[in-house]
Amino acid sequence: MAEILLQVKNLKSVYKTRFNERIIAVDDVSFDLESGKCLGIAGESGSGKSTLAMSIMGYYHPPLFYESGAVYISGVDITKLPYNQLREKILGKEIAYIPQAAMNALNPTQKIINLVADVMKEHVKGISFNDVKKIAEERFETLNLPKDVLQRYPIELSGGMKQRTVIAISTILNPKILIADEPTSALDVTSQKIVIKLLKNLIKRGFIKAMVFITHELPLLYNIADDIMVMYAGEIVESGKAEEVIFDPIHPYSNGLMNSIIVPEKGIKGKKLIVIPGAPPNLKYKLEGCRFSDRCLYAKDECKTSKVNMKYVNNSRSYRCISQVDELKEMYKDGKKPATT
Amino acid sequence: MKSYRKYMTSKIAWYILTFVVAVFLNFLLPRLIPGNPVSTIVSKITSGMADTNSIKRVYETFEKEFGLNKPIWEQFMIYVSNLFHGNMGTSFGQYPRKVTDILASSIVWTIGLQLPAIIVSWILGNVLGVLAAYIKKGFDRILFPVFLFISCIPSFGFAIVMVWLFAVVLKIAPASGGYAFDMIPSPTFSFFLSVFQHYQLPFWSIVLVGIGGQSLGMREMSIYELNADYVKYCRLLGLRDSKIVKYVFKNAVLPQITGLALSLGTMVGGALITEIVFSYPGLGSVLFNAIAAQDFPLISGCTLLITTGVLVANFLIDIAYGLIDPRIKVAQRE
Ligand SMILES: Nc1ncnc2c1ncn2[C@@H]1O[C@H](COP(=O)(O)OP(=O)(O)O)[C@@H](O)[C@H]1O
Ligand code: SF4
Ligand SMILES: [Mg+2]
Repeated sequence: MAEILLQVKNLKSVYKTRFNERIIAVDDVSFDLESGKCLGIAGESGSGKSTLAMSIMGYYHPPLFYESGAVYISGVDITKLPYNQLREKILGKEIAYIPQAAMNALNPTQKIINLVADVMKEHVKGISFNDVKKIAEERFETLNLPKDVLQRYPIELSGGMKQRTVIAISTILNPKILIADEPTSALDVTSQKIVIKLLKNLIKRGFIKAMVFITHELPLLYNIADDIMVMYAGEIVESGKAEEVIFDPIHPYSNGLMNSIIVPEKGIKGKKLIVIPGAPPNLKYKLEGCRFSDRCLYAKDECKTSKVNMKYVNNSRSYRCISQVDELKEMYKDGKKPATT
Repeated sequence: MKSYRKYMTSKIAWYILTFVVAVFLNFLLPRLIPGNPVSTIVSKITSGMADTNSIKRVYETFEKEFGLNKPIWEQFMIYVSNLFHGNMGTSFGQYPRKVTDILASSIVWTIGLQLPAIIVSWILGNVLGVLAAYIKKGFDRILFPVFLFISCIPSFGFAIVMVWLFAVVLKIAPASGGYAFDMIPSPTFSFFLSVFQHYQLPFWSIVLVGIGGQSLGMREMSIYELNADYVKYCRLLGLRDSKIVKYVFKNAVLPQITGLALSLGTMVGGALITEIVFSYPGLGSVLFNAIAAQDFPLISGCTLLITTGVLVANFLIDIAYGLIDPRIKVAQRE
């Protein structure tokens, strides 16, 4: 069995707002990430994907607070580490991050090479600027990035180039795990493809060992993910192998996410549609029963009241719904497709 | 690069045009003040003379010397051609001293007081501002209201409070002047000691007022920068906070450079009130007295010096910004 690089156990994170509200944005999330794998996390905007990314990296800055659970990276529970040790030993070195808005992720008044130098000097004792330059140029060349980018300021780079540069910087120290939070969302289709190719290349060449790829477009994960977790209102609602979740979703929410792309509406053929009417519940209220019940077309009375736990189909496949798999499949087959808007 | 040169050429052309207009206004405006300064001087000199004829002769001599009997446009031509020879005329009020001499001796005091004060307050203000934004908690909770309070007091009010507290109540510093009034400037230890003692109150009153405003602006800017995406990204790359605060400081301080250059450029005018409160022998006091005495040449000289300072400062800002900030460098190139 492959080595487990990242293990998340019952992780819970909460936003504490000024009005004394507690928003549990990551609720009891557990998963393992094995060496060589890419885990995709999909869910609508606001479902807690970015918060999960921050929590995995131990980035707890107000208003976000750690509540409970554990995150093991290389066997160490980083939720128990003091910030300084987390920073010195883990961040950038064991686990690295590509932000959602890479457009603004670079300091506008700093040349790329100087940021690379600062990052490397922080983690590699006594490294000289010349060595940094050599390593960075070599890495940029290997990743098909023009190496004169290193001598430029962020403003001189296009959106796609900025994103690729950020990816190269984040992985310069060969971190074991890379967390990419919507790395392609702000890009045009051509740049999206280049970025995805680059990310795959990183794993292939062994610059990183495993990756978590976050997106709000479930079908996008088909190109890159081995496994997929679908997230809704802070919870994991389904997880499994990529092809299974994409082509054979169990949970009504995953099913809806897939239909939202496939089913074209008359007149606007091929256009993306919002097929799941309604919006996720407000997490500041205490939620009972299934969190999806307000929007679920297959909801029963008991869905609103009883707590819904994860059910295991086999050891790689699980979902969070009171209905049985056959029952759901039957309903999907009946053509009781979610209504389009 | 070609378009950068074009950008600079048109900038320089605008600066020269502004300067020409300024020279004209600096000449004209003081002379529009109603009243006759020559008769004031003459009446001072001839006090005790009874002979109206000789008083009239003295008056005419002076009018001729100052060129006031000529039409105003001719006076202007003479003024400009003298300017080219570095001659700003003779002071009415401090006759027969040359305007250039008066300016030269007083500007030493002004720069000696203002330059260190502005730089010290700028540096301290910016460092305190960024620290307040970064540390927050107790540090910010105490400093922020104090800064706010200080920056709301007009500078003369603050200067007067300083005089009252340290010179009148505590008696640990002299209240006015640049050195003890019974001294003659000389390169002796006791003279320098006196200068140093007289320096403290005006210096610190400028510094403290400056820190108040400077740190507030810097605090605002730093809070904005600390919330920027690059700060979060750098933290997740494992960079230490001291490094990140340096980035934030650099980015937040860039816009403050304009403020620094402007206060350097307006040094003379800015010091006016503080210098008057402390009777400090700088340009501010000279200008104040020149206005009171309707000393046209001296007023024109002072204002010309101030204008030149402001223009040079702005010009340097334009150049410095282009060198420091890549965003502007690119914008200039385009
Ligand atoms: N700074 C914040 N303060 C309070 N609540 C927040 C904050 N950021 C996010 N949230 C809440 O956390 C939830 C999850 O947000 P996020 O993790 O950004 O979702 P996603 O990345 O999936 O779009 C949102 O529904 C939002 O209500
Ligand atoms: S538990 Fe009920 S409401 Fe929730 S997804 Fe399943 S069927 Fe729908
Ligand atoms: Mg997000």
